[in-house]
Amino acid sequence: MSRRGRVAPRLLRFGRRVHGWIFRPSAREEVEDEVDFHLSMRVREYTARGMEEGEARRLAEARLGDRGSLSDELEDIAERRNRRADMQLVTDEIRQDISYSWRQLLRNRAFAIAAILTLAVGIGANSAVFSVVSGVLLEPLPYESPEELVTVSTAFPTMGFDEFWLSPPEYHELREWNESFADIGAYRVGAASIETVDRPLRVPSAIATASFFTTLGVRPELGRTFLEEEDRIGGEPVIVISHGLWQRGFAGDAGILGATVRLSGRTATVVGVLPEGFDIDDEGVDVWSPLHALQSIDPSDHVNRRGNHFMNVVARLSDGVTPERVRQDLERMEQRWAEEYGDVHPIDPELHPMFTTDLRTSLLGDVRPTLLLLMGAVSFVLLIACANVANLLLARSEGRSGEIAVRVAMGAGRSRLTRQLLTEGVALAVLGAGLGLLLARWGTEALIGVNPDAVPRVAEIGLDGRVVGFTALVAVATGVLFGLAPLMGATMGRVGSTLKEGGTRSTRGSAGSRARRLLVIAEVALAVVLLVGSGLMLRSVSGLQRVDLGFDAQNVLTMRLSLPAGDYPEPSEVGAFYTELLASVRALPGVVAASATSGLPPVQTLDANDTEFDGVPMTPDGPPHNVDYYTPIDEGYLATLGIGVVEGRAFEPADALAETPVLLVNERLARTFYGEENPVGRRIRPPFGDQWFNVIGVVEDVKQAGIRAPAGTELYFYNPQLAQAGGNVARDMSLVIRTELSPLSLAPAVERIIGELDPALPVADVQTLEQNVARAMAQPRFLALLLGVFAGVALLLAAVGTYGLMAHTVAERNREIGIRMAMGAEPSAVRSLVLRQGAALAGTGLAVGVLGALGLTRFLGAQLYEVGTLDPRTFVAVPLFLGLVALLACWIPARRATRVDPVEALREA
Amino acid sequence: MNTSKTLLHGTLEALVLKTLSHGVLHGYAIARRIEARTNDALQIEEGSLYPALYRLEARGLVTSEWGTSELGRRAKFYTLTRAGRARLAAEVRAWSAFSAAVTEVLGG
Repeated sequence: MSRRGRVAPRLLRFGRRVHGWIFRPSAREEVEDEVDFHLSMRVREYTARGMEEGEARRLAEARLGDRGSLSDELEDIAERRNRRADMQLVTDEIRQDISYSWRQLLRNRAFAIAAILTLAVGIGANSAVFSVVSGVLLEPLPYESPEELVTVSTAFPTMGFDEFWLSPPEYHELREWNESFADIGAYRVGAASIETVDRPLRVPSAIATASFFTTLGVRPELGRTFLEEEDRIGGEPVIVISHGLWQRGFAGDAGILGATVRLSGRTATVVGVLPEGFDIDDEGVDVWSPLHALQSIDPSDHVNRRGNHFMNVVARLSDGVTPERVRQDLERMEQRWAEEYGDVHPIDPELHPMFTTDLRTSLLGDVRPTLLLLMGAVSFVLLIACANVANLLLARSEGRSGEIAVRVAMGAGRSRLTRQLLTEGVALAVLGAGLGLLLARWGTEALIGVNPDAVPRVAEIGLDGRVVGFTALVAVATGVLFGLAPLMGATMGRVGSTLKEGGTRSTRGSAGSRARRLLVIAEVALAVVLLVGSGLMLRSVSGLQRVDLGFDAQNVLTMRLSLPAGDYPEPSEVGAFYTELLASVRALPGVVAASATSGLPPVQTLDANDTEFDGVPMTPDGPPHNVDYYTPIDEGYLATLGIGVVEGRAFEPADALAETPVLLVNERLARTFYGEENPVGRRIRPPFGDQWFNVIGVVEDVKQAGIRAPAGTELYFYNPQLAQAGGNVARDMSLVIRTELSPLSLAPAVERIIGELDPALPVADVQTLEQNVARAMAQPRFLALLLGVFAGVALLLAAVGTYGLMAHTVAERNREIGIRMAMGAEPSAVRSLVLRQGAALAGTGLAVGVLGALGLTRFLGAQLYEVGTLDPRTFVAVPLFLGLVALLACWIPARRATRVDPVEALREA
Repeated sequence: MNTSKTLLHGTLEALVLKTLSHGVLHGYAIARRIEARTNDALQIEEGSLYPALYRLEARGLVTSEWGTSELGRRAKFYTLTRAGRARLAAEVRAWSAFSAAVTEVLGG
């Protein structure tokens, strides 16, 4: 046996490793060669025994049997074996790669921890925000074929109402005349008191048409929704309840179907339970009643009800109907409106247009830009994190060029090395992503927990498959991209030169270190953008907090009550209840003042009531005679909240019995309708009844449309007087109680008094007035908080990145520094050498970042309050601050440079 | 073919392993060795020999590589692996036990 036989297997295996599958001869050829060899040997044997050659060949072939099928069988076995061997080779190598990577990571623990934590923060923040975005913006609405759903609204552009409700006649005409919609429903959200198994509850409620449920395509979990005959005047009083209320209030008892419950003082039969998660406008509606039965709306009463705009309308587009066709359809109907109701503000493209909005757009409102902004911000954080990890990997790759050169020289193939480095990168990414997902889970909960009011559709938010997929994608892409960095520094062609360098670090100015410098510049620049954004947001939130609300929100406890018409049929009973309640509350120790209002500032529902002003002519150019807010208040309300009286006087108890009813106007109303004249003594007539009211005073403006919007026009009615006059008494009031104590500590005592007066009366929204104000600022605060967190993370990562690079540079230039110091360079010169380099780097990053921020902050525009997108203070303070941090990050390596021992440094080299 | 010369099932593989335990051989040489050692008492069925060799290789009991035969021709040589050696030992033990039992019965 020759020696070649022993060498051959190793060579063959090596060949297979290097050249893989390309150069291996086909199995069939080998089989045929082997059989040919066998036959020729047999023929030789037989002829040696004296057989004639042709005879020998026949005999040899006969002994072999059917050559074709034998070859097939052999080829088959060989092929299967080869495939298995290839698989084995790959899995072996992968296993080796993983264990090698693991050992590498363990050996460079500091590097691994830094890289993994950086990735985890980037990926965690990204996934948390993506979870929220996906839940709110991407998750389909919980209705059948939600893409076909639109809302229908009207507007009164000349009065400044860009989105307004529909009146019942408008709704009915739209429903009858349209040729675009498969179904149309209407609803209106409010609140109701319902008696549950153990206690009365005040819950969000809605009135809805029977068609509302069929339009949305909801199938009840139990029972049914409304029948058409129940959705009529005089229809049976029925209700449908939410899954949540069924569980909370009725212990999920299926016997609820057909049960009679007390709802706001009346009785109603429960006919259905809606599936979990069904809601409208994110209101958390628990009780649904038929709209027409409760509102006593007679669709035939076109004239009187035409101006009664209160219905939200949702419609399902017919198959294949485009927005363009809907618009044409509406134009066609406008003609008809003009012809039939030309005299009572008909739907009209100029004065009272009707239009549709995609349901999702309409539900999400202004949250969309906020969330997209956050997405942008958080992707910056991820970019910085990736840049940092890339930096770490690059730094390591420079340190590893020796190792890699050795491995190449030892015969590791380029593809094998690539796979090895990829495995390391992916291992880092996977660990980082795993940790990041944990952070994301926690972060998502924190995001929602911090500010539930800031984000709609909270129920839809959760870590879902998309989020996990997204994270995995980002992680693997990061690992793949930057895992390969060492290969760029250690290409095969440079193996020899790297080895010759004798293990010294690669030269300065190499592609690798240039890339690292660019990455740090990018990090600093991105951090500038984030810091500027969060700075602007913080300034605008602090601006919002300084806004003069027109009232003193400190030390005020509030809670809401609603006296059902069933239990308190007479308005005078309502008046008496509130008078008695407030008297008892005022007697509580620690109470300074107490009163009640129908609309708690700073956010009230818009009323927009047509109102007559005696002696004020309506002109085409002048303001329409319409008042934004009608606010019935109780005695002492203005004093309790510290709202000043500018002219005339506030309400007095005697006003309750005055022959001519009285009211107060706010300054905005006085200015709008009376200009410089004093409105005290003038007469105003609201659209209910025929009574004129005397203006007895002008009071300071109070925010009602949120903190950012200017105050609207407002009329204050005296609720005790309305109670005496009958009819329009406000039943739904918020108590406002000023106290010397901590406001919430007073709540149990007040609730006890209410319970003694009426045990069946639920109390809702127990909170301090300051909390109510904070809720009105929920979104900007949410945005400011998140941007602040992101900016903080960005700052930290950029500082770490700068520090890492400078520390690395100092280590790299150890020898040079050593020589300089041996030549007599002062430590301060060495320090400034390093600092100069760091300053150049940071300065470039800052300049790029400021330019980027100048271009990008305009996306914040809509979120800002009284701060320009190019606010000079922010644009000066941020680069200064970041520059200081960067200098600090350079200072530490610079100091280390001055401690280089020249002798050591030279010996090492 | 004469029944007495037909190999019992599975025995061919054992014989191949045994033959290879003496050195590296190509397929023809394996056939010849077996024939020679049994004085042609056992005629190798060549249609079975090669599949047996391929299967042994697939199971990792032998390896093969191309080399040059004594006569200067390209031929495929088979080598017994460590696993093959272990397998041979097991086969030999099993065969001894089996033949002892058969001999006991037939001889008795």
